Amino acid sequence: MRRVIHKLFWIWQLDKEEAWINEMASHGYSLEHAGRFSFEFDETEPDKYKYKTLFLKGSYNSEENVKYFRFLEEMRINVVSHIEYPGTCCVYTRGLSEDHPEGLEIYSDIDSKINCLKVSAGYMIFVSAFTLFAAVINILSALTPANMVWWLNLTCAVLVSVLCTASVIATVRIYMKIGKLRKEREIHE
Amino acid sequence: MPQQALTEAVFYILLSLQKPLHGYGIIQIVGELSNGRVKLAPGTLYGALNSLVDKGWIDALPENPESRKKEYVITNSGRMVLEDELNRLTELVDNGRRLLGGN
Repeated sequence: MRRVIHKLFWIWQLDKEEAWINEMASHGYSLEHAGRFSFEFDETEPDKYKYKTLFLKGSYNSEENVKYFRFLEEMRINVVSHIEYPGTCCVYTRGLSEDHPEGLEIYSDIDSKINCLKVSAGYMIFVSAFTLFAAVINILSALTPANMVWWLNLTCAVLVSVLCTASVIATVRIYMKIGKLRKEREIHE
Repeated sequence: MPQQALTEAVFYILLSLQKPLHGYGIIQIVGELSNGRVKLAPGTLYGALNSLVDKGWIDALPENPESRKKEYVITNSGRMVLEDELNRLTELVDNGRRLLGGN
């Protein structure tokens, strides 16, 4: 039986989203489709699957990504859903818990982990720049003397500024993770 | 120019490809060879296989139409790289044992 849950995870809450999807799977709800604001689950036996969410460079249908997904299928890992973003895509992968008892990991080496984080950092920089631009435009419009709806522009400016701040913080956090991995790579492979 | 050290993943991938294997088989063999210590994740294996094919250290064999799984096998230059790496590792172990007073 299919169950639809409406829930919003911001783009920078990928880890939180993944933990929630795995939590649902542990209770017998396996993710079948992920949208921007909704998630569709099918009832299965508890803890049948483990999920991993990751950002990939390029479109979901790009030749390189299609080849990659085919390879993952050979490894008994399926892409159950995806969301397209400008220049990148977020994919929801899953494998059987019996194959991945400690959780599904797509990358085991530090360089690949860094590259994966760089893709999400690149998108976060794009979001930060876009929201900053929108905030500035709205502030300038609000300050125009003839503007009768200055309050509307000001409200928009405040909202996008909050989004901008959150995405900048998320970008910094991703770069801190990258820095940690680089330090680890100096000692370990 | 001396050869740079191979990563553990690349070393085991080359070692496991003495006969043709597909990706899942490589992960299993590497796990067995290292007694479960080295767990190659699929994304890491994919990147490594592509790099090794580009370098000519392994060959991608024509796809089996039944299984649709791509198989890989080590090349002669891959074998030479593996031999060099074994010599490098032997030197490390010999030096370590000599200075630490082991066997």
